[in-house]
Order: sequence, then C-alpha cells, then structure tokens
Amino acid sequence: MNMRRKKVFGFTLAAVLLVGLLAGCSGNNGNSGKTPAAEPQTNNSANVSNEKSDEPVTLKWALWDWEATAYYQPLIDAYKKDHPNVTIEYVDLGSTDYMTMLSTQLSGGADLDILTIKDIPGYANLVKQNHLEPLKGFMDSNSIDTSVYGGTVEQIQVNGDVYALPFRSDFWIVYYNKDLFDKAGVPYPTNDMTLDQYDELARKMTSGSGSEKVYGAHYHTWRSAVQLFGILDGKSTIVDGKYAFLIPVYERILKEQDDGIVMDYATLKTSSTHYSGVFYNNSVAMMNMGSWFIATQIDKVKSGESQATNWGIVKYPHPDGVKAGTTLGTITSLAVNQKSANKEAALDFLKFVTGEEGASVIASTGTIPAIKNDEVVNSIASIDGFPSDENSKAALTTDRTYLEMPLHEKSADIEVILNEAHDNIMTKNATIDEGIADMEKRVQEALGN
Amino acid sequence: MTRANKQAKTVAKIFAYLVLAVVILCMLVPYAWMLSSSLKLNKDVFSFPMHWIPDAPRWLNYAEIWTRIPLGRFIYNTAKLSVIVTVLQLLTSSFAAYAFSKLRFKGRNLLFLGYIATIAIPWQAYMVPQFIMMRSMGLNNTHLAIIFLQAFSAFGVFLMRQFYQSIPDELCEAARIDGLSEYGIWGKIMLPLSKPALSTLTIFTFVNTWNDFLGPMIYLTRTDLKTIQIGLRMFITQYSAEYGLIMAASVVSIIPVLIVFLALQKYFVQGVASSGIKG
Amino acid sequence: MQNEPVLGNEMVKRNAMSKTLKDHLVAYSFIAPNFIGFAIFTLVPMIYAFVLAFVKWDGANPMEYVGLRNFARLLQDSTFHKAFWNTILYTVGVVPITMVCALGLAILLNQKLLGRNFMRTVFFFPYVASLVAVAAVWNFVFSPTMGPVNNILHAITGVPIEDLPRWAADKDWAMFTVVLFTVWKNMGYYMVIYLAGLQGVNPELYEAAELDGAGPWKRFRNVTIPQLAPTTFFVLMILVINSFKVYDIFINLFAGADNQLNNSTRVLVYQIYNTAFRSLDYGYASAMAIVLFLLVLGITLIQFQGEKKYGQ
Repeated sequence: MNMRRKKVFGFTLAAVLLVGLLAGCSGNNGNSGKTPAAEPQTNNSANVSNEKSDEPVTLKWALWDWEATAYYQPLIDAYKKDHPNVTIEYVDLGSTDYMTMLSTQLSGGADLDILTIKDIPGYANLVKQNHLEPLKGFMDSNSIDTSVYGGTVEQIQVNGDVYALPFRSDFWIVYYNKDLFDKAGVPYPTNDMTLDQYDELARKMTSGSGSEKVYGAHYHTWRSAVQLFGILDGKSTIVDGKYAFLIPVYERILKEQDDGIVMDYATLKTSSTHYSGVFYNNSVAMMNMGSWFIATQIDKVKSGESQATNWGIVKYPHPDGVKAGTTLGTITSLAVNQKSANKEAALDFLKFVTGEEGASVIASTGTIPAIKNDEVVNSIASIDGFPSDENSKAALTTDRTYLEMPLHEKSADIEVILNEAHDNIMTKNATIDEGIADMEKRVQEALGN
Repeated sequence: MTRANKQAKTVAKIFAYLVLAVVILCMLVPYAWMLSSSLKLNKDVFSFPMHWIPDAPRWLNYAEIWTRIPLGRFIYNTAKLSVIVTVLQLLTSSFAAYAFSKLRFKGRNLLFLGYIATIAIPWQAYMVPQFIMMRSMGLNNTHLAIIFLQAFSAFGVFLMRQFYQSIPDELCEAARIDGLSEYGIWGKIMLPLSKPALSTLTIFTFVNTWNDFLGPMIYLTRTDLKTIQIGLRMFITQYSAEYGLIMAASVVSIIPVLIVFLALQKYFVQGVASSGIKG
Repeated sequence: MQNEPVLGNEMVKRNAMSKTLKDHLVAYSFIAPNFIGFAIFTLVPMIYAFVLAFVKWDGANPMEYVGLRNFARLLQDSTFHKAFWNTILYTVGVVPITMVCALGLAILLNQKLLGRNFMRTVFFFPYVASLVAVAAVWNFVFSPTMGPVNNILHAITGVPIEDLPRWAADKDWAMFTVVLFTVWKNMGYYMVIYLAGLQGVNPELYEAAELDGAGPWKRFRNVTIPQLAPTTFFVLMILVINSFKVYDIFINLFAGADNQLNNSTRVLVYQIYNTAFRSLDYGYASAMAIVLFLLVLGITLIQFQGEKKYGQ
C-alpha cells in the first residue's frame, strides 16, 4: 500500500515535471523564435533608414502617469504632424515601482518599443538584462551632440556605450514663501547660500506653535532631500561603500528636527504627508525640492488649492567653497527595446523627443527638458504664474549637477540599502554612527557579491 | 432561582452590548474619517487638527473621480472578473473538496497536503515564470489571464473540504445505498447543505478578486482592461498623491462588495439543522 | 453492480477490482477541474521557481547552475535573518489574537442579538476596504504627535505626548502597531469562517449537554470546540500561512513613497521581492521562498497529524 502510494506520487511528480519542462521549453522556443524573426526586419529597415517610410507603424511607448503628465500628448501630437503614418500607443505602468514593472514586462517578452527610463538603478538593471538597444552607433550616424545635455549622458555610459538619452532633466532648488518672510521681516533667501546660511535662515523663520506654527525649512522623506547635501562638494560619492562624510549632514538635519525647525521625519512618513500640502498651507517658509514642483505650484495657485500665492525660488544651498548653482539632478530618459520589431521608427521618435524640438514642446508645458538653453529658460520663466523677480529666473540656471544616484553596476542594491539606513537614522531607530556603519557593511557586502 | 438566572443573563447581555458598542465605534472611526476626507481638498486631508466635518464639503471629488480616470469602465471590468472567477472557484472547489473529504482514493492525503502547502509559496516568488508562461500562451492583456490566475486556487478547495468534514459520512452512505451516484450526492446533498461555506467562499473570492492589485497590474497594461485597484493608484503619481480622490473612489469601490456581503449574510446563520440534516 | 451475487469467486474479485478502479476514476474526476487549472497555471510556475533556487539568474540572461550556493548564502545573510525573525514575531503576535477575537465575535454574533446583521457587516468592513485607504487612515489616527490616539491617551493618562509610544514610527512599537492593524483588518474575515462553521454544529448536542447539566463554559468546551475542529484547523492554517506571506500590509503601513521598509519592519516576502526585482537575483529569492515553503510545510504536517488525532 505504502509502496504503491509512493509510486503514484512518483508518477504524478514525474508527469508534473514533464509538463513543466515542456512549458519551459516552449517558453524558450518562443523567445529564441522571436529573435531571428526580428533580426532580418532590423536589417531591412536599416537599409531604408534614410528614406522616410510611409508604411503605417504602431509604436508602443511604456510610461507612467499618463493622466497627470502634461507633455506626453503634446509630444505625440507634435511628432505625428511630420509622421502621419506613425501611431503611438501608450502603456501606462504606474509610477510606483515603475522600473520593476517594466523589467517584468520585458522579461516576459512584452512588445514594447519605446521605454521611458525613470531612474538610474532601474536603468542599470535593464542594461544588465540586455533589454536596451545600444545607441552609440545610432548617435554617431545621426551626429547627435551629447554636449547639449550638460554632461548627463556621459554619466550614464556603460562600458563605452549609451543605452538611453535624456529628455527631461530636473534639478533641486529652494522654494520659499514670500509672505511668511515679509511677515517675519526677514530678507528673502538668495541665489548664493551656504548650508550654514540656510540653516541660520531656517532658524530665523521658525515661529509660533500649534496650528500657527511656521517651520523654517522642510525636508521631504526622500533620502535625496537630506543625505545628498553631502555630495555637493564633489569629493564623495555614495556608491563606494564609505559614508563617514554623511555624519555632519545627518547631525545638522537631526539637530534641526530636534529644535523644531523642521517637521519630524517619522510623523511625515507615517502620515503620508506630502511636501506640497505643507507648502500650500503656509506652514513652511522654505523647502528644498526638485524643479518638477514649479509647474504644479503654478497650477495649484491658479486653482486656489495653494494658499502660498506669493512665492519664489532660489538656487540650492551649497557647502563652503563650492560654486553657487551646484545642485542635484535627476534625468528621465528614453530607450528602445532591443527586441522591438520597429526599431527604426522607435529610434526616430526617440531622436525627436530627446532633441531640440522635443525640448521646446516639453518646456512649453512648464517642465524642464534635458536640453536647457537660454530659449528654454526664457520659455519657462515667461509662463503665466512663474514668480516675476529676477532671482527666480536666475535660479533656473545651474552650474554643476550631480545625479541623485550615479550609475553603478550595483546601484539598485545600494539604493535599497541607503534608503533603509536613511529611514533608520531619521526615525532614530539607529544612531547616526550605527546607521552609517550599517550602510558601509551592507554596501560593501553588495559590492563584493 | 430562575429569576436570579434571568437577571444574571440580562446583566451579561447589557455588558455584551456595551463591549460591542465600544468595539463597533473603533471599527467605524476610520470609515468616518475616510468619508470625511473624501469631501476634502487633498492638502487638507492630512492637516492637523483634524476636521471631522469639512468646512466646505467638496462634492466635486465624487464627480471628478469619474472623469479623471475611466472609473465606470474599471468597475465594469472588475465586476466581470470577480463574478466569473467566483463562479468558477465555487464549482471547481466544491467539486474537488467532495473527493478530498468523502471519497477514498490513493494518494488522497498526500495530494491534499501538497495542495495546502502550495498556498504558502508567495506569489512574488513565481510571478515572473508565470508571466513568461502566460505570455507564451498569448494570454497577456486578456481578462482570461486573471481568471486563470485566480479561479483554481487551493484555498477554495481547502475551505470547502474543511466544511464537508463536519457533514457526517453516514449521510453519503445512506444516499449511496439509495442508489445515488457520487455526482448526485454532490449535487443533491452536499451543495444544498454547504450553503454557509459556499457563501463564505463567494465573499472571499469576490473580495479578493475585487481588491487584487498586483495581478491586474502586471497582466493588464491596456487602459480599457484595467481594474479598480489600478484605478485607485492612478491618483498616486510620481510627485503627488491625491488622497481626497483616493478616499472618494475607495468609498465608491466598497459599495458593490458590501452589497454582495449583505445579500449572502443570511446564509451564515441558516443552520445545518434547518436544511434537514437531522434525519 | 446489477449482477454481483450470481457470479463466481473469480468474477467477484475482478469486479471488485474494477470497482475500486472505477471509484478512483470517479474521485479523480471530481478533483480534475480544479487540479488541472491549478497545475497548469500555478504549479508549473511554482516548480520552475523551485528550480531557480539552484541557479543564478537575472530574469533575462542565461542561467548559471550554482548548486546549493544560494542556500549557503542565506546562512550568512543578516538582513534575511532579520526579516525571518520579524516575520516569526509578527506571526506569533497575529495568530492567537486574531483567532480568539474571531471566535469570540462569531459566537457572540451567532446569538440572537439586536442588530447583529448590522454588527456582522461592521466587523467585516475593514477586510473589504481597500488597503491603500485604510492604511492611510490608520497611520493618521496613530500619528505620534498630532494623532487622536495619542491625544486621547495624553488626556486620560496625563503622560506627556513625547513620552507616549510613537506607534508605526517607533522601532519598538512598529511591530505591535502592525499586529493591531492586522487583527483589526482581518478578524472579520475569520469571524465569517467561524460563523459558517458554527452553522454546522448540531444543536441537538447542545440540548443533550444542557440536559446533562452542563453550564455555558462546559458546553463551549465539550460541544463547540470539538465540533469546530475542522474550522479551527482551517483558520489556524490560513492565518499562519497568511502571516508568513505578509507583504501588502507592511508596505502600505510603513513603506512610504519609495516602497522600502527598514530594519524593524522588514519581512520575508519584502526581502524576496527586493532580491528578485530590485537586485535581479531571482535564484537567491527563490531560495528564500523555499525556506518559507518548508517552514509552512512543516507546520502543516504537524497540524495535519493533530487534526487526524482530534478527529478520531
């Protein structure tokens, strides 16, 4: 009886494994079957690439926040004017964990053509997985000049090749509430502030209590809003496994938190408090945030949701001895799926969006494109609702921009570790020293793997 | 004696009501807040001190959720999926559970054990192989993918089997002697008897499919196929989260599930005795 | 079936054999619809994932066989250990409290009480609601300095707000907070299972027990508990498994915008998810999943034996 039972079980197991193997094989076949099928097509289209083809093409564009992003539709419309044969379908993968979703879709063989790249760790992963089409050859043959991107393209090179081109480039600035400064009789922040001056100003601007409380500054719960003050001097990087340089940064911010100059991190995080809300409600005098908030703030002042109607921006505060205008940046780029059946058409669209034409479309929606020339700056500063003072316009030009997360083979792992440690330190789950030690230990472990 | 007994009973009852009242209050407070937030501007949702009744209720939120995202379409999709999955789940689970509970065959316990144990494997661990396989079958961007994913779960079999365990075997034996086939016993005796379990399973499957997020997120990338939970998260964008709208949409999305619950609720209390097990 | 008795010895035997065969086929035909669907769409990928535990794979490039190296790595991995113990701690907290609450509520709401339909609905409510929304509400209510919970506690006890627990924001209270939240959210679910189970209890048994002079407690112990044994087995198993598999609740309660958990709230499935999708280490993630699976399999086996004994 027992024996027989075993036999049955063994048989079932074998059958199941067989089915599994078959499924696995057919899956592989499907994949390998696709590649050769795609190749001749690429060759074909490569031959005719000089000529504009009139054949109808449908491109699938992976992106996030279709509804909430102002420039997707204008970009498509502008492109279609010259390419009526191209239809562009969007695939909205949502903003939370977008890069994970994208990677899963590509691993499953999704027929996406154009891929929006949201962050550097995700980009590094996709490059590692061989999902992205190398662009060096394409860029050379189309003589695309990377110098217009302000050095960001060089920062995303992998083994001498580039797999994506930026079309949007945001950088960090300080937003401030002019009414609150006027009320307190304190002069406005300037375009050249050291970190010490920023701290001093924040302390001066803190007042009141209860619902009348005004915080001098505000740090959102993202790691980049706090930790990356440490890399502005250009001497340290966050990917080498040594983090002692972060100790003074954390000491300063935690002291501000203890003194009630800024809101408590743990409260912010657990109550999902959004930075925009506290700024709209006139409860913070200054806030360091990315340039993406400019368009939102303008909109919300118009709609009446933002009560901080009198506002301005200045350049990011910087460490002693560093040039004003040094700041953090983040780029959003486009890439082409290596397995795309319409590579030529996809590359052409990529060229459009990341080029001058795309840049002016993006700028017209109040978003900062990757190509940032005087025309773009003027276009943004002239948007109705943009602060009228000269300083705010000048704040749109930057000197040196460090990427929030530099490209590194392990940047995805490092990002996770740093975020966790940041959380531990800011919630006082760990002392600064413990948090730093944890970062160093785990990052070095990850680097060694 | 009986009087004292009665008095004690009354006291106990009052006490029970008191306890229940407090607990119910705790259960309801979050919903009151949800309702009140759904009538606020986003920036006021998390502002302190909290206002239970918004100064200027923003009914516009309830209008906006239908235009900002195709909420009607999402609700239709979700309802369709939930109904199909639930029907399939009920049929196949109660069918299989009957064999596991009332029939003897080789490898029964082993198979059952294996079934349960697979519930333990987190979906995240086999999500990618599953996705690759489904795609190779051409099921990507079809509702069929979600149906196949959800309809054949071991959970339902487990739940039904446990309920059948409490139905005496003698009942089946008697029916067999009366010449009923196994299918007949399942259809004529077990199904009517297991209304409480069936309605429980209905609710669970319905709620699970209704609230499923990751599955539709991966398999349904075309907007016209998406479901309500993806819709809810469309209000959370890269640089902002509109909690006023999220709360409004949540309130709307609870209603259908609540209807299902209320409709089936009476079956939890319809005792086995009343359905004729006594003989 | 029709002409059984007439035939000879040999025939009876063969007939009996074909009868067992037929019985088996009937049994398998009952299982088939569910099992075939399950095997194709769930079991096959699961087995595939098992195989992955012995390879190094990034989700796209060719796999590389590494034997048991992924499992060896688990022994050294301090973050995995932390996630493991956090998960165990969470399970130990959630399972008994939820069970007692669910059973208590079910028994209470199985009585003839005023407005019990309303109450059942209210208790089931949290389970139905979307996690995104209720987690936001919960965090708001338990907000350390401004939330109503701490303000009420402050008013009652007079302890300054700074000295009160900081709930989700506090490493020592985070686990307690999430256990409380889970019980609140899920007890209605298990209450419904118990309610359904209670309908299967034969009322004659209560009557008989009452005739024997058994009080409420004795009736509960000698009738309700044994009669509910299959239900309890089910509730216990599902509770344990769901606690081990917990992910969504932690993410929605603690993770914030970047979907990350810290040391005191990291759980196993989060670790699996991160390892697979952020670090692209599918093999290592599968090894973690196998550990989880074996753990639950072990518990299932113990319970299964327990149920058998109890059933007899």
